[in-house]
Formats: sequence, structure tokens, C-alpha cells
Amino acid sequence: MDGFPLLSAIVFSPVIGALILLFVPGTNHRAVRWIALGAVLVSFALSLLLLGYDPAGSEFQFREDLPWIDAFGIRYTLGVDGLSVVLVMLTTLLSVVAIVYSWEPIQTKVKAYYATMLLLMVGMLGVFVALDLFLFYVFWEVSLFPMYFVIGIWGGPQRIYATVKFVLYTLVGSLLMLVAILAVVIAHAASGNSLTFSYEALRGFAYTDSLQALAFVAFFLAFAIKVPMWPLHTWLPDAHVEAPTAGSIILAGVLLKLGGYGFLRYNLPLLPDAAISFAPIIIGLAVIAIIYGGLVAMVQPDLKKLVAYSSVSHMGFVMLGTFVFNEQGLQGAIYQMISHGITTGALFLLVGVIYEQTHDRQIAHMGGLNARVPRYAAMFGLFTFASIGLPGLSGFVGEFLVILGAFRYNGLVAAAAMVVVIISAVYMLWMFQRVFFSVPSDWMRKWWPSLRDMNRTEWIALAPLAVLAVVLGVYPGPVLDMISVPVDRIIEAVNGAGLTGVGPLW
Amino acid sequence: MDLLDDLVTLLPELILVALVLVIITVDLFLPRAEKWLLTPLTVAGLILAGAACFVVWDINETVYSGFYVVDDLSVFLKGATILTGILSALFAPAYLLVRRIPLGEFNMILVSALLGMCVLASSSDMITVFLGLELMTMPSYLLTGLHKTDRYSNEGALKYFLLGSFASAIVLFGVAWTYGLTGTTSVAGIASALDGEMSAGILVAMGFLTVGATFKIAAVPFHYWTPDAYQGAPTPITGFLSVGPKLGAFALLIRVFAEALEPLRADWLVIFLVLTVLTMTVGNVVALTQVNLKRMLAYSSIAHTGYIMAGLAAFANATDPGVAAQGIEAVLFYILGYAVMNIAAFAVVGMLQRDTTRFGGLNSFAGLATRAPWRAAAMAVLMLSLTGIPPTVGFFAKLYILLASVDAGLAWLAVIIVLNAALAAFYYLRVIVYMYMRDPEPEPAPIDTSPFGSVALALSVAGVIALGIFPGAVLRFLEESAASLF
Repeated sequence: MDGFPLLSAIVFSPVIGALILLFVPGTNHRAVRWIALGAVLVSFALSLLLLGYDPAGSEFQFREDLPWIDAFGIRYTLGVDGLSVVLVMLTTLLSVVAIVYSWEPIQTKVKAYYATMLLLMVGMLGVFVALDLFLFYVFWEVSLFPMYFVIGIWGGPQRIYATVKFVLYTLVGSLLMLVAILAVVIAHAASGNSLTFSYEALRGFAYTDSLQALAFVAFFLAFAIKVPMWPLHTWLPDAHVEAPTAGSIILAGVLLKLGGYGFLRYNLPLLPDAAISFAPIIIGLAVIAIIYGGLVAMVQPDLKKLVAYSSVSHMGFVMLGTFVFNEQGLQGAIYQMISHGITTGALFLLVGVIYEQTHDRQIAHMGGLNARVPRYAAMFGLFTFASIGLPGLSGFVGEFLVILGAFRYNGLVAAAAMVVVIISAVYMLWMFQRVFFSVPSDWMRKWWPSLRDMNRTEWIALAPLAVLAVVLGVYPGPVLDMISVPVDRIIEAVNGAGLTGVGPLW
Repeated sequence: MDLLDDLVTLLPELILVALVLVIITVDLFLPRAEKWLLTPLTVAGLILAGAACFVVWDINETVYSGFYVVDDLSVFLKGATILTGILSALFAPAYLLVRRIPLGEFNMILVSALLGMCVLASSSDMITVFLGLELMTMPSYLLTGLHKTDRYSNEGALKYFLLGSFASAIVLFGVAWTYGLTGTTSVAGIASALDGEMSAGILVAMGFLTVGATFKIAAVPFHYWTPDAYQGAPTPITGFLSVGPKLGAFALLIRVFAEALEPLRADWLVIFLVLTVLTMTVGNVVALTQVNLKRMLAYSSIAHTGYIMAGLAAFANATDPGVAAQGIEAVLFYILGYAVMNIAAFAVVGMLQRDTTRFGGLNSFAGLATRAPWRAAAMAVLMLSLTGIPPTVGFFAKLYILLASVDAGLAWLAVIIVLNAALAAFYYLRVIVYMYMRDPEPEPAPIDTSPFGSVALALSVAGVIALGIFPGAVLRFLEESAASLF
């Protein structure tokens, strides 16, 4: 495989699919769907080749490096470490799931929809493999606008409000990050180095304290909005509620991970002093997010909003694990990202199954579904437990490791985070009970005769996620092996010799 | 160096002069049904003039006793000028013909304005500066009022003319004052006579020059003529007015402030910083509330003026010549990119005004994606580019300005720019919302699909994307252009 640009092929095969779509008549929905599926399947199959990654290697692998804009030292550099590998595979998998799931629900502007989804995938995959800050920023923005269209065109009744809010929130953060990128690049160049946007060159440079602090805030805003971190999360419930189901799967499954990835890849290794100084604040915010997300999820009347707020809580765990700066915490954070992508993606898919039939997501309107659609109830149950973090399912490993890491940092923080394990059991199980076991509401009885259990497409979309939720729960070894070296490198960068933080912040 | 050799350096200008005469003559003999032939004629002439720019590239000479300079900076600006001319000439006919606005006059006046911009770009003496300025703005007044039977067009032209003449007079007064202080009108002479020492007299001169020049680029608080002039002018002409005279005025700013007043750059920096921040913020905030797309783009063009001025501020604040050059390069790149995307955006608005009772309201864009998918997609790309989203030229242009600002130690200015860009995203994206996320009106506006406009639109959009992904293609020219200032 020497010389084959594997990463470019993974990132750009969806573009090729989108280009082919241009030449297919838009009325031929069947062909459009198959081409889109073919494109993401190619991307997915190629991403499986990344399993050939050597987990023991400490450098980026599968590197590609081409000159791009010489005058600015901008290069087209791609490469992966273990962290990127697992996230790339999660992305390609969820892309397949989203495309398959959209088979029936999307019946309007089909061609435009699939082309947009394919472009979205390019942006997301690019973010995970870019090793040039300029290239990273380009992909970052490319991942933003297709989602804007997906929510705005194929979304629910309040879609325009939701999508504008989504895009403006994200844009403010990312534009500030752009200034921070430039500041970092220029500071690096000002000390005699040649102008470069290369991540590997910029990492490990000793930036001044004030620059670190300011750049950290800018990067933080961009990523924290994406994660989203309390109190910057308010766009998320709106976006989820209005997004079509496949959009929600991608949004929760991958787009939120872009934020988590950004912290791990950029904030910590590039600006370690600032990271140390800001850690207590961010840990505080993360704990608030964990508890706040859980409590708010508890009182949501809308099924999708409940899952959305549970995301705020789960991603809080990711932030907590990231900023305790120890091996357990960081591994847990990454594991939690993977697990959250799978379980929340699946939960959104499952919510979509019932929504497609009744066009309603009010928990109060449901009830007793277990009797009518038992297989659906069983799958819903599986992912409910995975989301709560039941041992043996994927959610447990991540949460456990994060709490372990938090204990090493501070017992009180860990204790606070522990509380949410109970809260999450409350809101998920209570929801599950009201939807599947209580007496069917009058409203639901109206739909009773026409309710169907999961159909074939839905099974195909869901099956891989169900398998992974179990496998990752009982056998976390391979993933943890994959991410252990990147985690060590991050810890090395942060706890490197002589780092003391950027001094008192105020 | 004899006269003939000097003439060769004027090749682009000479071609433009000849083109004006050819258009007038041919227009006389063409029957009404064949007037459209003037468009390919004009475009061919402009392409020839553009090709001539390559002939005079790398000459770097001052000719005609120091009145005229043909350096790479001027040639680059001329190239950009001619590009805006080509696009305008292609976009305009469809709009003008349904309104019975004479095409011959339009083309001839347009080329005259281009000639003025070229003179301005090349001027190395304050007298030439003023000559170029007037040669550029007089045709601009005419273009604004070209729709003689439309009272908005008349109103816009009158406002533009009155305030514009006023500003020209102020510039002239500033020139006179400078002459009184330094005893010369030559740009280089002024620069060497000013030894960086500030005095009350110089302050007055600088004040007059700043007010006059910033009026021409429509910087806040001298922008009040812009929305009315832009809204009143025939739409494709508005596209030209929003970039052409602005391009010329920035050429003036570079010649006067970055060259003649260069020794005092620390002093005018302060004024420019205030104007930059005011201009972009006011432009964006007011644009937020506009429901007429022409007015919205007019205010947004004020905001873009602010971004470009930030490049000049970076030039003035830089201690290192390389960084200062970067500021000028950023200005040039932004002008070029902005010219293409803004002319094209106005052209799309014009295409939706085939029905002469339409005024470019946002509503006429509702559901455009289903009615005219390619034009909607083109407009979406242009809006994203104006917002500054990769991979478009608008993004790279903004990046250049940001890079220059941060490099020159103006990181706070960069932060203000990006916050403004986020603000602007709101109203640019609103156009996309209308096109893609709303249903068409019950009786949607007819769309012009004439070939000239479609080709020009396709070329502009292709250029916007290609330059966004591979800006390296023009960076070499930019570096040499900026280098001629140092």
C-alpha cells in the first residue's frame, strides 16, 4: 500500500460520490440513494484499512504531505494517530448508518440531501486527519455549513430559527479560533522559524504566557461551543429537535466529537501552560454540565430533547476526563466519545423510528409500546442501558475511567460526577418506563393499529451499533491500546518538565 | 527615453481610450436590434487591455517627468480594474435592455471610468491623482443616473454628484495645502519633504486628504451617499459602483497615504484605526436590518471597506518592512476577491429584476433553489464567500487581512474583524435561508437567463472557488506589486 494516499481517499471518496450525483437525474431517487451509499461504503471500507495502524508508534502515520500555498507555509498534510483512527472509523460508520437510515424518511429534494450529507462527511473526516492548522480550519468550516443546510431544509417547523442559531454560535467560536491560529503561527514564525501552519512544528513551541492564555480562550470557545459545554450549549437542543433524524445522528455522533477532539489535539498539546491554569475552571464547568444536563434531561417532555440534554451531560464527562490530565481520565474521555457516538446516535435513530410513524415525540403521548412493538422496545432498552453506563455495555467503560481519573485529581469532583450516574439512571429509566410500559395514552391508542415494529432498513442501520455497544462494553482492550500512545503524548506535553501554568489568571 | 518608448508603457490606457472611441463610433451605425453586439466588442477590447497589462508588467518606470508611474502595483490594480470592467460589461446588457437604457452609452461611460481608475493607479503626482479621480468619478455619477426615467436613479445620481463633488473639492484643497507646505506635488517629493515631524499645517492637510479620500471609499462617517446611490443605480451598475470606484479610491489611498504621507504613518494610523472599526461595525449593524437586497449589499460593502482599511492600518503599524508589505498585499488581494464576488452578487439580484417593477427585495429570492437551482447555488457560494467561509476567495482574503493585522501587532483589530464577520454571517445567510428554506412567492419574479450574464456568473463563481483553494496563483503578482512601494 506504499504511496497510496489512503487518508485522502477516505476523506474525499464522499466528494466523488457527490460529484457523480450531479450527473444523476434528481427524480431517480433509487440511483441517488445507492450512489450515496456506495460512496460512504467505500469510505468506510477504506477506513477499515486504518486498522493496520501501529498502536506502538509515537508519530503520525499514513502521512501525506504536499505543498499547497507556499507563500504562507501552508501545506496539505494529513496523518493519523490512534485518536484520529478511532474517530475516523466512528465517523465513517455513523455516516453509513445515517445514509441507510435516511432511505425512507427523506422523500423531498433527495439528491440535494445526499449531496449535502456527503459533503458534511468530508468536513468531519478532514478535521480528524488534518495536520496543518490552515487545512484543519478549512475542514472545520466545511463541516459546519452542510449541517446548516440539512437542518434548515429537511428539518422540523422551527428549523430556520434552530439552524441560524446553530451556525451563528459555531461561527463566532470558530472565527475567534482563526485569529488564535494566526497568532500562534505568527508567534512561532517571529522567533526565527519559517512561517508554517504545520501542527507538528507548532506543537512543543514555548509560547509566551499571555499569548497562551488568550489563544487558549479562543480555541476553548470554538471547541466548547461545539462540544457543547455548559453554558454554551443552548443551540444544541434546538438543533436536535429540528434536525431530521439522520442529521441528529451525525450531529450527536460526530459533530460534537469535533469539539472534544479539538481539545485533545490542539488546546492541550499546543498551549499546555494555559491548559494547566484553566483546568480548574473547566473542570468546574464540566461538573456543572454533567449535573445540569442530567437534571434538565429529567424534566424534558420531548423524547429528542431528553436525549439532547443527556448529550450535554455525557459530553461533560468527556471534558472532565480531558482536563484532569491523567491517563485514566483521558482514556475515559476518548472512550466516552466513542461510546456516546454509538449509543446516542442509536437513540436518536430509535426516536426517529417512532417519530416517522406518529410525527410526535411527546413522552406523555406514548406508553405501553412494549406490548405493541416488542423488538423496538428491546433495542431501545439496550441503548438506554448503554447510555446509563450499565457494566457490560459501552457507556460503562468511559464513565468508569473518567471517574477513576477524577478521583486521582480530586475526590470531591469525582463524587459530584458520580451523582450523575444516579441521575442518568433516573431520567433514562423513567423515560423508558413511561414510553414502553405505562398505560398507552389515548393519543397513542389512535395510532395503535398502524404501529409497526422496526423494518429492514432500520435494522440494517441499527445492527452494527448494537453489536458495537456490547463489544466495546465487554472488550475495551483494542480501543484502549489504540489510544494509549496518543494519551501518553498528551500527558507528556501537559506535564512536561518545568511547566507551571501561565501564572495567576487574575 | 523618447516619447515613443513612454507610450508603450501606457498600452493598457491607450487601448481603453481607443475602445471608448470605437464604441461611440460603432454605436452610431448599429441598428437597434443589433446593439447587443456592443457587449462582445467592449469585452474583446477590455480583454485586449488586460493582455496589455502583462506587456507592461515588470517595467517599473516613472515616465512623463515624474507625473506617471508604471510599477507593478499600478499594473496589478489596472488588471483588477479591467476585470471588474469585463464582468460589468457582461452582466449589464440584460438588465439595461429591458429598461431601454442605451447600451452604447453605458459601455462607453464604463470604459471611461475604467480609464480614470487606471490613471489613478499609476499617478505619482498629486495633479495626476486628482485627474484620475475626476476621470473616474464623473462617469460614475453618469452611470448612477443612467436610468433617466427612474426617479430613484435620478435621486441617487444627484446625491452622489453633490456629495462627490464636495469631496473632490476637499481632496483638492488637501492637495493644495500639501503643496503649500512641501513646495511640490510629486508623491516622492512630498514623502521626502516630510521628515516625520508633525505640525499643525500638516495635520490640516492630512485631515482634508483623509476626509476626501475616505468619502470616496465610503467609510463611516462619510458613507451617507452610498445606500441611496447604490439602490438608485441600475443593479448591475451598482455592482460596478460598489467595487470599481472603491478600487480606484484605494489606489488613491495607497498612493497618497502609503507613499506620499508614508513618513507620517504613525500619525494617520490612529485616524485609520478609528475609521476602520467604525466603518465595519456600522456597515454590518445597519445591513442587518435591510430587507432590500441592494441596500443590504450596499451597507455590507461599507463593512468590506472597513476590512480593507484594516490592511492599511496593518501597513502603518508594522515595524518590519516585510510585515508592512503584507498589509498592502492583503489590501490588494481583498480588493481583487471582493470585486469579483460583489459584482456577481449584484448581478444575481439584477437577474431577478427582469420584471421592471421589482426592486431587489429579499422576497424575490424566496424558494429560488427550486426555481433556478444553478443560480441559487451560485448566489449561495457568493454569499458564503462574502461571509468569509472556506474554500472561497472571501475566506482567503479575510485570512490575509487577519494575518497582516496580527503580524503587525493589531490582534485586537483582528478580533473585531472576526466578530464583525460573524455579525455579517447573519444577513448573508438570510439570503440562503430565503433561497433554500422558504417556499417561492405565489407569483415569483421572472428570471433573466441571457447567455452573457450566465457565462459571467459561472466564470465568477468558478473564480471565487478556484482562488479560494489555490490563491497561490496570484500571490506572486501580489508580492511584486507590494514590493514596488518599498
